[in-house]
Amino acid sequence: MLSKSQARVFFLGGTGLFSAIFLALSVDSMRQIPKLTRQDQLTDQVVRGKRIWEDNNCMGCHTLFGEGAYYAPELTQVVARRGAPWIKLFLDDPKKMFPGQRKMVRYGFSDQQKDDIIAFLTWCGGVNLQGFPAKPPLRDLMRPTATTASADLAGQPEIFRTICVACHSVGGVGGVVGPALDEVYKRKTREEMIAWIADPQGLKPGTAMPKIEMPVERRIEIVDYLLGLARTPATAAPVQPVRPAVDPKDFE
Amino acid sequence: MKYQSQRVAYWFFASALLLLSLQIVYGFIMGFARVGMDGLHEWIPFNTARATHTNLLVVWLLCGFMGSAYFIIPEEADRELWSVKLAYAQLISLLVVGVIAIICYHLNIWEGRKFLEIPRPLDYLVVVNVLAFLLNIGMTLWLGKRNTTTSLVLYMGLLFAALLYLPGMVTVKNQTVDSFYRWWVVHLWVEGVWELIMGGILCYLLIKLTGVDREVVEKWLYIIVGLTFLSGILGTGHHYYYIGAPRYWLIVGGVFSALEPLAFLGMAIYALAMAKKGGRKHPNRIALTWSLGCAVMSFVGAGFLGMAHTLPQINMYTHGTLVTAMHGHLAFWGAYAMIVLAMMAYALPLLTGRKLWDTGVASFAFWTSNIGMVGMTGALAVAGVTQVALERRLGLDFLIVQKEIEMHFVGMLLAAALFTVGIGAFIWLFIRHGLPSAEARAEDFEGAVAVGK
Ligand code: HEM
Ligand code: HEM
Ligand SMILES: [Fe+2]
Repeated sequence: MLSKSQARVFFLGGTGLFSAIFLALSVDSMRQIPKLTRQDQLTDQVVRGKRIWEDNNCMGCHTLFGEGAYYAPELTQVVARRGAPWIKLFLDDPKKMFPGQRKMVRYGFSDQQKDDIIAFLTWCGGVNLQGFPAKPPLRDLMRPTATTASADLAGQPEIFRTICVACHSVGGVGGVVGPALDEVYKRKTREEMIAWIADPQGLKPGTAMPKIEMPVERRIEIVDYLLGLARTPATAAPVQPVRPAVDPKDFE
Repeated sequence: MKYQSQRVAYWFFASALLLLSLQIVYGFIMGFARVGMDGLHEWIPFNTARATHTNLLVVWLLCGFMGSAYFIIPEEADRELWSVKLAYAQLISLLVVGVIAIICYHLNIWEGRKFLEIPRPLDYLVVVNVLAFLLNIGMTLWLGKRNTTTSLVLYMGLLFAALLYLPGMVTVKNQTVDSFYRWWVVHLWVEGVWELIMGGILCYLLIKLTGVDREVVEKWLYIIVGLTFLSGILGTGHHYYYIGAPRYWLIVGGVFSALEPLAFLGMAIYALAMAKKGGRKHPNRIALTWSLGCAVMSFVGAGFLGMAHTLPQINMYTHGTLVTAMHGHLAFWGAYAMIVLAMMAYALPLLTGRKLWDTGVASFAFWTSNIGMVGMTGALAVAGVTQVALERRLGLDFLIVQKEIEMHFVGMLLAAALFTVGIGAFIWLFIRHGLPSAEARAEDFEGAVAVGK
């Protein structure tokens, strides 16, 4: 068995050796990180966004690169997920965007500050995170049936494409907070839809859908687009919601 | 108590318990916010509560470590503390810095980097403070009659902890680089040098409480802290998987962090074996219970639950979810909170001269707080695994999933209430011990128990 002095050699030697390896790998990491993080795109604006991120301790509720707190969503891919217009609208009044839900502080950022934050988050979204966050492996199995041909996506009104899709999907493209809208024309009339968008809270207190200010023409434009989906039957077969238990190929 | 200057430890311990109580209050604020009761949002938003909760944790543990060192080092070095005045000055300034930091968090003033939220100017004060502490302890050791392995390991742990605070104070533009060095503080503290501190204190307690030969205990101490560094230094890689660092960290971090539980397992086996081997029974059974409890729970919380999400294939989905919070709670509790409480349970009767070690309240405090903490961990585990399945694997929206798991936080709050009752009992017992007394005599293991009054 080891004597005490041998044990001490093991401790000191091991610590020295592994510290040296660790330092060497750290030096190499510092060499590689500029490329992995696209440091050339790290503009002054991005840095200003990072300072805003730190000065308000956003990490105290959110995660970024999976680091931070678990009270609010992961933000590495938020610009890709929600889009800049939605994020700006959201920052103006977070409570309004998620009525009755978990609260975020209303910071009252200026337009410049909002642009800085978005620049920072966009840069973060471009960092090579070795595949994080992974695409949810089971998502495709659970997608609601998309009955709309993808060609229709081109005809989406601007406001629908930039704001509504953050929560709703059409043709399988969009968020999963609210229901898919491919077949909403079957459930609601034109008037009902226009009234609903004008004031979701008024019609159904407690709903997660925010009241988004827009002129009535924009609302009509959106509703007409959704009604128009009825005239364009799906070209592709509906996506299977679940994987068949038996693979047909097994019988060939 | 052999040396009068050991008495400063009492005030460090009392402060630590005060800060722990406050930490729990902020834990409840967050727990309630998670079940929709966020009435304090305007004044104490979640990020304020969280920074306060985790910073209080770190400060009370540091306070406890310092108190332990002030108790252990004079005895190991066989002389009075170098400067009692400096020790008190250092305690008071540490508390003042802590209070200022917490006030800042309520005013939206901070650095906004997880665990290192303290505003930069205060960082410098922390550094000065810790230097004063190290000087005091260092001089005591230097001038002392003995140099034991136990005190050496403890001192090295404290010294490296101070040095590793520095990389957290660099300002950089690149978020990845920022994160890279943040882990030099956070990871290399809890999975490196703090383990030396824990090992040193545990070693001291085992020598005192079991009567096993110092040579044997200290030899194992070297082997275990050797294992800690062997695995833990490169184990830092488990935080570098997905932050923009090179890909080889997936292998390096995966392999070496998977070895980390060995050090904790070693610690648990060694503590249990020494307790079994120790022939003579020390009357302070509850201090031994806390010491062995610490060795076992640190393995469960840090070793076992750390292992549960440390492999990159698993971490890809658990990274940044409540699974991490589950592990964080039991690891900090088992390894660091329990070692500080063990030290208090051992030192208090000696400092005050009151032998309140065999009471029902003492056992009640141990079991209730531990069962409560295990319950909290269980609730967080269920919430975390559900979150991973629904959000990370099925792709449901974050807030929808949070609603789904809300009930588990009701469970967590119930367990937290139980935990709080246990801590309450511990504090009550602490107060009943009274103030340190000059008449409290050294209760030497060799001789009869000779406690004052
Ligand atoms: C006493 C020792 C330990 C303590 C106090 C501790 C505490 C923590 C804390 C607080 C975090 C969250 C850090 C953050 O996200 O900022 C964390 C993360 C982590 N810990 Fe530990 N830990 C300990 C030991 C271990 C060990 C031994 C392992 C591995 C075997 C481990 C594996 C991990 C992993 C993989 C993460 C990252 C989780 C993620 O990706 O979100 N920990 N630990
Ligand atoms: C009544 C008791 C407690 C309650 C209700 C509580 C609750 C919480 C909550 C809700 C969080 C935030 C998780 C999130 O980001 O969503 C948290 C974080 C944390 N708490 Fe506690 N806590 C309590 C006691 C403790 C104790 C005693 C310790 C240490 C021994 C502790 C250590 C931590 C740590 C290390 C974190 C950060 C975890 C991470 O980032 O992964 N807590 N706590
Ligand atoms: Fe770690």
